[in-house]
Amino acid sequence: MKKKFWRCFVCNDVHWGFKPPEICPTCKVAHAYVEISAKEAKACLGPLPEPGFTKADFRRAIEVFAAPNQFKVNPDTERVDLLLEGMFSNEQNHGLRYCPCRLRSKDFEEDLKIVCPCNFLIHETYQGLEKGECWCGLFIKR
Amino acid sequence: MSKHIMFHGRECPHCRAMMPLVDRLIAEGFAIEKLEVWHDEKNADLMRSYRPVIAAKCGGQLRVPTFLNPETSDAVCGEIPYEKLKEWASS
Ligand code: SF4
Repeated sequence: MKKKFWRCFVCNDVHWGFKPPEICPTCKVAHAYVEISAKEAKACLGPLPEPGFTKADFRRAIEVFAAPNQFKVNPDTERVDLLLEGMFSNEQNHGLRYCPCRLRSKDFEEDLKIVCPCNFLIHETYQGLEKGECWCGLFIKR
Repeated sequence: MSKHIMFHGRECPHCRAMMPLVDRLIAEGFAIEKLEVWHDEKNADLMRSYRPVIAAKCGGQLRVPTFLNPETSDAVCGEIPYEKLKEWASS
């Protein structure tokens, strides 16, 4: 099955996935999504804001992401700074914020799995361990 | 003794932690070549060319640091104790 683009006919939110959301997370209208083309999805996003996402923005984003979860951002700020440095230089040099502790294979689909944050819940350094952490130690179990 | 390779990433904390251990082995006379892979595509392509060998021993992925003996295909990755690294370097 391939992911498709969907657009909310009320608020124009765009969703990319196998199925549209039953309730639009933005305007809360039910059954509001219609399948659209990739071209329309891109056009609906409009001009992207410049400058992009800074390291401070990303740090804030991962704190918010971690807050309701069983893990937190590592309090070792030196480590986190180093990792962010790597991700942002990877974004500049290779297009996405790839994990600094792995190497992209050059297979796009495969490499999406190592864009930070990745699904580290399945890493052997995290799963089933009391003091688990993602492969790089950016996220650690609470 | 054949040349061993350490594939590492400049901004990888595991690689940073392992660097003093690698330097210690080099000072002891072991031939280990350090190849950075996120800022050097030639090194990255070389690491990719060993994917079947490395991935089999490193969780199905190309992880750094990876310590590889290209002759024997002996590979270990991540942060490992000095003794284990020396064992690899002696292989
Ligand atoms: S292992 Fe950690 S730092 Fe690396 S991509 Fe996954 S979440 Fe990010």
